Amino acid sequence: MADDLSINDSPNGLSHEDLVALRDGAVDGRPAGIPTSYDHGESIRWTPKDIADIHAMSRLGRYQIRGFTTANRRMANWNDLVFVPATATRLPLEGYRESCDTKTVLGDRPGLVSNPIELDIPIYIASMSFGALSASAKAALGRGASKVGTMTCSGEGGMLPEEREASKTMVYQMTPSRYGLDLEHLRQADGIEIVIGQGAKPGTGGLLLGMKISDRVARMRSLPVGVDQRSTVRHPDFLGADDLLIKIEELREATDYRIPIFVKLGATRPRFDVAMAAKVADVIVLDGAEGGTGASPELLLDHTGIPTMTAIPAAREALEESGMSGEVKLVAAGGIRNGTDAAKALALGADAVMIGTAALMALGCNSPRYLEDYQKIGTSPGKCHHCHTGRCPVGITTQDPFLETRLHVDPAADRVARYLTAMTMEITMLAKACGKSSVHNLEMEDLRALSLDSSALTGVKLAGVDRPFTW
Amino acid sequence: MTVVTVEVGDRPLRQINREIRALASTATEIVVTDPLSRHNLAVALTEDTPVRILGNVGYYCGGLNSGGVIHVEGDCGWGVGEAMARGKITIDGYAGMSVGASMRGGLIHIKGSAGPRCGVAQKGGDIVVEGNIGYLSGFMAHTGRIITLGDAGDATGDSLWEGAVWVAGDIKSLGVDSHPVEPPAEEVAEVEELLDGLGLADSTRDWKKVVSGQRLWYFESRDSSAWLMI
Repeated sequence: MADDLSINDSPNGLSHEDLVALRDGAVDGRPAGIPTSYDHGESIRWTPKDIADIHAMSRLGRYQIRGFTTANRRMANWNDLVFVPATATRLPLEGYRESCDTKTVLGDRPGLVSNPIELDIPIYIASMSFGALSASAKAALGRGASKVGTMTCSGEGGMLPEEREASKTMVYQMTPSRYGLDLEHLRQADGIEIVIGQGAKPGTGGLLLGMKISDRVARMRSLPVGVDQRSTVRHPDFLGADDLLIKIEELREATDYRIPIFVKLGATRPRFDVAMAAKVADVIVLDGAEGGTGASPELLLDHTGIPTMTAIPAAREALEESGMSGEVKLVAAGGIRNGTDAAKALALGADAVMIGTAALMALGCNSPRYLEDYQKIGTSPGKCHHCHTGRCPVGITTQDPFLETRLHVDPAADRVARYLTAMTMEITMLAKACGKSSVHNLEMEDLRALSLDSSALTGVKLAGVDRPFTW
Repeated sequence: MTVVTVEVGDRPLRQINREIRALASTATEIVVTDPLSRHNLAVALTEDTPVRILGNVGYYCGGLNSGGVIHVEGDCGWGVGEAMARGKITIDGYAGMSVGASMRGGLIHIKGSAGPRCGVAQKGGDIVVEGNIGYLSGFMAHTGRIITLGDAGDATGDSLWEGAVWVAGDIKSLGVDSHPVEPPAEEVAEVEELLDGLGLADSTRDWKKVVSGQRLWYFESRDSSAWLMI
């Protein structure tokens, strides 16, 4: 006899649909579905962040703004490269005993500049403006860098006396906005960096929100106090490469051919941009997409520019092709966290590296103190990216006089100095393991790629098969 | 009275500017001959010894001027007096793009007309143009005055901060977030006094002062449509 399904159609008084639904906690009045799935929607397209972004845009009527660095998880990762130290076919140096030269010279193009910059280590502090950073933070970076024989860079907001005084060597930045640009400051500088672009937001000018335009910042930038400052991206008096060449001649005339000229590029088309800049500059600073910033439209942080480690080999090739390798120096920046990343950058072809975000971390950025102030701005130590608000709980990216007192300049300078020392030790440890008596002898052959992506993007040989992935 | 001559011709620029700088502390006037539209002439001067250039000059003449008094008896190329802090530059003829770009002080006097972006990113000082000024003049000017006795081109005063473009003639079109206002009498008097000093007195001018509408000074959610202007 066939089963009579109607007999037990309604055990315990439940309907057919109730039984199909398993009655697993369904909430009356909610649409059909398995309730727990509401917590696990996880569409790869409509993530909770994408949904929240739409809600934010529909409230603000503009793009979102934040500080820090890219959140794009697909950025090529330094961890995808490993060193292949010397073994039987190459001779390592004693990592704990033998010395490894770290001296770094920038701007020594033959016969052009009388005072090239000599640094004791291949790392220096990136250009970050007074305005984005507090005066105390600028001074601490200067003192910390000076202690270990390296330098700082002014950033967009003009030359801060505290930083110039603290920094034995300092590069003065000439941005398109030209805030406070002054002949005397040019002549006080040890180098001049002309900004064509930056890694965090290539193709767009600087941004400093009104909360950080204090009286002093406003005065130095000739701005009304409290405005949301959006800087230009194009320079006011030159457009293309030919004009840039003339502009550089003007700066050389103004400084009597004494100090080197740096050109800073956001990494986008390094093969072409570096080939052009090599014709006119003494040093090229290539800032990858992971470069940090005090404030940027979020979309630019996450969706513009190419990763630092992919830009370096392309830039080095451009220098080789234009015959300027060795004469024009290449500085790489953007997302360099430690000596290991820096060593990889040098091996890929950089002559030096520049650190911004990492230097702020050394100052105390994101350190677990003043927890209630992190909470007030909706974040927590280790996750804070609220530089744009000017409410930095640890006194680094703020113009608030009270918050700024939380950064003690001398101890912070010591932290920066120790961090730079540790980074340098990491670089030399890897260099010596690879048999190099100078950090500048690191080469692509010292690296292997752990993924097809990283090999294809950098030209580094794939681990094991010892061939770059090509197509 | 020591008038000395510096010949430009095809000599190395570095040598020419070094001579001008060195003579500026000893001579009473420096006459620069045969400039051949060379770029970067008389940049970064700090002494107020008059420098008279007999002919046309190229880009960035008098750039980074910090006290120099320069008179060009001809036309000039882009960026004359760019980033000037102090001093005076006079151009007898016409000026190219970006007159006084990002200048912070001093006076630039153009007797002819000036090209586009006159006074771009100006941060102080005065620019007086007897003829017309080109498009986007005053673009993002922070402070200072750009004064034209003639007409202003398209997009005048685009994205101004606290700078102002004074126009005696007609304005072809206004830039984003800028609008003309009738200037207060005391400000007019100041402008006329400046012009009087240049021998350009005329009390009959009908001044329009172009200033910022300040709608783009702040990211303001209640006025987000303002951002569609750009």
